[in-house]
Amino acid sequence: MKRKLEMDVNGKRIVLEVEASAMLVDVLRDQLGLTGTKVGCREGECGACTVLVDGMAVNSCLVPALKVRGRRVETIEGLASEGQLHPLQEAFVERGAVQCGYCTPGMIMAAKALLDKNPHPNREETKSGLSGNLCRCTGYSKIIEAVEQVAGFGEVE
Amino acid sequence: MWEDYLFPTTVEQALAILRDHRGEARIIAGGTDLILELENGERATNCLVDITRIPGLDGIELQDGYITLGANVTHAQVADSTLIQERATALAEGCQQVGGPQIRNIATVVGNVVSSQPAADATLPLLALDAEAEIADEEGTKWHALGTLFEGPGSSRVDSTAQMVTRLRFLPLSARQGSAYERFARRRALALPILAGAVVVETDATGKVFEGVRISLGPVAPVPFRARRTEKALRGSSTDGASIATKVHTVLKEAKPRTSILRASMEYRRELLPVLLRRGITRALQRARG
Amino acid sequence: MVETKVLGTRWARVDALEKATGKAVFAGDLSMEGMTYAKLLFSDRPHARIVGVDTQDAEALPGVVAVLVAEDVPVNEYGLMENDEPVLCGDKVRSIGDKVALVIADTEKTAEGARDLISVEYKDLPVVSDPREAMTETAPRVHEERESNILVEYHVRKGDVEKALAESDVLVESLYFTPAAEHAYLQPEAGLGYIDRGGGIVVHTAGQWAHDDRRQIAHALDMPEDRIRVIYTPAGGAFGGREDISVQILLALAAWKTGRPVKMVWTREESVRGHHKRHPFYIRCRTGANRVGKLTAVETQLIADAGAYCSSSPAVLANAVLLCTGPYDIPNVKTDGYAVYTNNISSGAMRAFGAPQGLFAAELQMSKLAEKLRMDPLEFRARNVLVEGSTIATQTVVPAGVGVKRTLLELAEISEWQRGAETKLEPPTDLPSHKRWGVGVACGWKNVGYPFGFPEQCTAIAELYGDDEVGRVVIKCGAAEVGQGVITALAQIAAETLGVDPEMIEIMNDDTAVVPNAGSSSASRHVFMSGNAVHLACQEAKSLWDAGKRPAIVTKQYVPPPTSLYDEKTGKGVPNFSYGYGSQAVELEVDLETGEIALKKVYASHDVGKAINPQMIEGQIEGGVVMGQGWVLIEDFIQQEGYLKTKTLADYLVPTVKDAPDEIVSIVVEVEDPLGPFGARGVGEMPLMQLAPAIVDAIHDATGIWFDELPITAEKMLLALKEAAASR
Repeated sequence: MKRKLEMDVNGKRIVLEVEASAMLVDVLRDQLGLTGTKVGCREGECGACTVLVDGMAVNSCLVPALKVRGRRVETIEGLASEGQLHPLQEAFVERGAVQCGYCTPGMIMAAKALLDKNPHPNREETKSGLSGNLCRCTGYSKIIEAVEQVAGFGEVE
Repeated sequence: MWEDYLFPTTVEQALAILRDHRGEARIIAGGTDLILELENGERATNCLVDITRIPGLDGIELQDGYITLGANVTHAQVADSTLIQERATALAEGCQQVGGPQIRNIATVVGNVVSSQPAADATLPLLALDAEAEIADEEGTKWHALGTLFEGPGSSRVDSTAQMVTRLRFLPLSARQGSAYERFARRRALALPILAGAVVVETDATGKVFEGVRISLGPVAPVPFRARRTEKALRGSSTDGASIATKVHTVLKEAKPRTSILRASMEYRRELLPVLLRRGITRALQRARG
Repeated sequence: MVETKVLGTRWARVDALEKATGKAVFAGDLSMEGMTYAKLLFSDRPHARIVGVDTQDAEALPGVVAVLVAEDVPVNEYGLMENDEPVLCGDKVRSIGDKVALVIADTEKTAEGARDLISVEYKDLPVVSDPREAMTETAPRVHEERESNILVEYHVRKGDVEKALAESDVLVESLYFTPAAEHAYLQPEAGLGYIDRGGGIVVHTAGQWAHDDRRQIAHALDMPEDRIRVIYTPAGGAFGGREDISVQILLALAAWKTGRPVKMVWTREESVRGHHKRHPFYIRCRTGANRVGKLTAVETQLIADAGAYCSSSPAVLANAVLLCTGPYDIPNVKTDGYAVYTNNISSGAMRAFGAPQGLFAAELQMSKLAEKLRMDPLEFRARNVLVEGSTIATQTVVPAGVGVKRTLLELAEISEWQRGAETKLEPPTDLPSHKRWGVGVACGWKNVGYPFGFPEQCTAIAELYGDDEVGRVVIKCGAAEVGQGVITALAQIAAETLGVDPEMIEIMNDDTAVVPNAGSSSASRHVFMSGNAVHLACQEAKSLWDAGKRPAIVTKQYVPPPTSLYDEKTGKGVPNFSYGYGSQAVELEVDLETGEIALKKVYASHDVGKAINPQMIEGQIEGGVVMGQGWVLIEDFIQQEGYLKTKTLADYLVPTVKDAPDEIVSIVVEVEDPLGPFGARGVGEMPLMQLAPAIVDAIHDATGIWFDELPITAEKMLLALKEAAASR
């Protein structure tokens, strides 16, 4: 059955019809064309689908789209504004934290949620904030460095 | 899968929807377990009844001597709550170790209880805290001891097509009481436990004798388990480390872990049981004294 | 070493920005007007005859466009080295990963529903899941047209091993086992197939070798290659796992048969089931040395589980047979290697391709010998490593640019390794009483480029545009970007050669209709092979430019010195034209109460010849180390009697950020490779190849226990500690 969904996506009010059983990740990707959010496992085990709902990181593969009615959804596409990259995006690029790039959108969104809540996390807190995101390419080192650079800890090479 | 998705604004409304659908609708809160079950063809349903917009169910409060958690309280909220960290530390620790941050942000503690998994990380501390759950259905609301709600692994006495849990409550820990949560797993995040447990201890005024001990463990039985024989063995005994190290072996007489091909063998779990208890009791004791 | 301006800089990857903004298009993001969706039916038996496939109900479902089975495939076979794998199985299935039918429908949901309506009647055959059993005369035959399940074997005979072992002062004999592994790249297989305006078939997907995908599609569809076009999206990780065909032939077939665009996206479960795994190996090894610490002889027998199909087993085995002595000068070598069919999921390429398995045995033999000789394990290795001019087991000289000793020495220096068997690195002073600290070391070697006579080449086109000055450079080279950063490295090489700003370089790499064949993203070969082709093409284009040509366009093919396969009897041959070398040291802690093993620090010293981009090299080292850590300590791929127990990422656990070592110290060593571009060799696989024995060596240092099998879970550690205590 189709139902109306009204939500804020990246600062824009969106109204659309969705199947009652649609997952948020599929509405974002297939109906809104926001393919920056990725599908890695569909079981909440990899974090590639991470988006923010009212500032909280969630696995959009496990969130029914209708659940976010009236809420504020942020995806990777909404981070850069007016041609200006978000500091996390800049840091990821600069520090070599991007290899294949598939985990990157989810990783950056999880990092954003972490820093928005806790602007200066210690190493343990940073790891905890990213612990729901798998990366198979980088070994995580440069991802941590990028996040810590934005948090004001890292040295810029 | 489901055909409709509804947002009741009161508990009564939620129950009315369930009644009208005669078993074809079910409660969803966070949904992180339920969605996977539905996608796998388990617990088929026609209609999801989302309770997360019902006001008044998201509080963590100290009220009339009890700490109460509303049905919509998430694991993240409990882990971050100073009240819980101070007055029910094991619960904060358990909640902090569920899944990853994305799961903790949305999955509810009540959902963890209703999932009825033998090693559920919010449920085990709640069991050791002698928590109760308030269940609302057509007949009204009633408090139930948490331990009465588990039928089998993944099978709850709470019928989510006809009932909902509205609150949990337990007595906060006070002077001379301390708690801790221990957990072993195959990796450090996003992993179900090989073995987990919560310990709540109370010492006498001297701090040298256990006056109260409550221990919950999983997975060592089909449902979350209270290690009552071990509790009895420790009660009245010395809080001295050597004594604890001996007494904890009682647990091997009552806990019956099994071999799980993806996590651990029975043999290994049995080796870990005394270690888990010793570590948990030691930390809980430090907090009772601190 | 040549002084360079662009090479050796930490230039930001050319593709990082689009990936960090979510703009990069991956295969699963593709879509097209009027597209249909395909869903695969996998075999649900590990070994069975197909009695019948009933697709009637499936075809009748509204919205279903077609259901394809074996009979619909013109030439129903494919493979990287041998065409022994059916596109869709018709007469029998040989593993749980075999593909039986393909449904194409208007929606993905309809395709799934229709797939579930297909009924297949199987007649079970006996299952063989252990390659040692599969080698015997009476084992069930996986490929009935063959005389045995032994797919391929190699033998190396150098000197007189029996005599040398008998005369050795110390001897170590062990039996090792290394398990399968799942690549677990974040991006599940996906793609889009369609017919273009000219009637050609286009497959848009992610992979490691677009031109070879095209070859295999053309073969299966019985069409000329120029009717097939393969376009790659950047791959969301590969690690060898996209080397074999996955969705390519099926998409081409589906688009061709239906005339409609067809999209297919595998679920994670389909990905785990549908693609090949790392070869499990059983390795028996006897190694001898004399009392002053010189190796005298190595005798090795290797049995590799090839799984149901050939894939790249002959090459993986050949690698393991060569590399299993370790990077050492050994006068007497006897090696026998076998790759054997079983009913397990097919084994194929995975990062380091036979080296992790072979080196596990080789390096643990070295560590055990060092212990017996009471020698420092690093010193013992340094005493025996290959040097310039050494002869290897195939009785030929190792190619010039032998950097292994340098990697050991720099490792020793940076880690402050102390001489002597008793003290190595400084243990921490605040270690709790229930923990033990240990340090271990290992080194390794591995081919750069295709080995053993596999045809090796790379072709690149350099195009220079502008008026007086070069204003625009286009490099066309079909090097698949799988995350390793190849297009950035090639841009840097081109810029260095031309003396221009790297920002000016445009790399085109993804379309068989536009770019020439560069060979695969495997064997750590692109910096060397594509780097050489690009370098030479740019050099020549620059000459033309300087002589006034506008534009200056050059196509250049680089072919390395020839290599050859083992002589059937002696194993004599020239296996490789270049090697990558590495040494690693590991510091870890063992919890004696739980068996948990925590990696604290990993020093990784790797000879890259010439560092094109140190930041990207560190990325390969850090990523390779964590992947290696996973293989040793966390990951556990479980298949029983041909059935999969670890089906998704919930069951097959890879390291999270919290599991990674506390610190990884990358040591980039540059010993020029005389054949490589600016002296560069390769590094993609090298950080993985020697980590396992280094970890085991460290565990032994901490606990006195040797592990000859992987993985080493906390459970295995604890039970081994208990057993050791009980037997004292």
